[in-house]
Amino acid sequence: MTGIVLVAALVAFGLFTGAGAGLLGVGGGIMMVPFLTLAAGVPQHAAEATSLLVVLPTAIVASVVLQRRGIGNLSLALRFGVLGAGGGALGALLALALPAHVLRLVFALFLAGVAVRLVRDALPR
Amino acid sequence: MSERASAAAMGPVAEGRFAGLDPRLLAIGVMGGLLSGLLGVGGGVVMVPLLVLWAGYRQRDAHALSLGAIIPISLASVVIFGAAGKVRLVDAAALAAGSIVGARIGASALARIEERHLKLAFGLFLGAVSILMLVRQ
Repeated sequence: MTGIVLVAALVAFGLFTGAGAGLLGVGGGIMMVPFLTLAAGVPQHAAEATSLLVVLPTAIVASVVLQRRGIGNLSLALRFGVLGAGGGALGALLALALPAHVLRLVFALFLAGVAVRLVRDALPR
Repeated sequence: MSERASAAAMGPVAEGRFAGLDPRLLAIGVMGGLLSGLLGVGGGVVMVPLLVLWAGYRQRDAHALSLGAIIPISLASVVIFGAAGKVRLVDAAALAAGSIVGARIGASALARIEERHLKLAFGLFLGAVSILMLVRQ
């Protein structure tokens, strides 16, 4: 994809990702990074960096909407997020020292376990 | 189910002492940031389940808290990646143009959706993500 077609595809995918992110309470990077690498041909590191720059305004807009509706607690969220940002810097340094495939495997299994539990909780009995 | 459901209905139990934070929130924020930095994924995928299953927040509140916490976490990451010259501004601008409209739609839906449906949607989303990660090993 090139030029105007790519831009249109990115805007459309952004709309889809933003809606998913706002509903699911995530940044949307997990959806955007594969799209950027596979569909738009962006290299992995650039895709992660670009997606993070999109995550920021997405999270701000969603947070403002939720704050106006009295859902959650934005000041509390920002406070523990600031501490999390420190963890993020540490994580990036650790990532350079640890085998990535082991981390990915452990993480995937953790998510699978949580997914099973949430779906089981949500199903009518 | 009933025990957890009632705990969830009451919301978080402990009022924290560290910087006015529940120590569990502190740990969740650091873990979210850590895994985000380690794996290059959004911290929300980690923070939402921990906020619900460990800290006892309702699903909806956990999603809102996660979105708020993502703001400083992604800001820090963007600064680091930006300094490395990795950000593609045109692509980011196009995606963001769509996603800020989408975020309003998604957040409005989050404000209305039934707790049980939200749990199901998030569980299916995580299931899909975990399968994708296992396949891409």
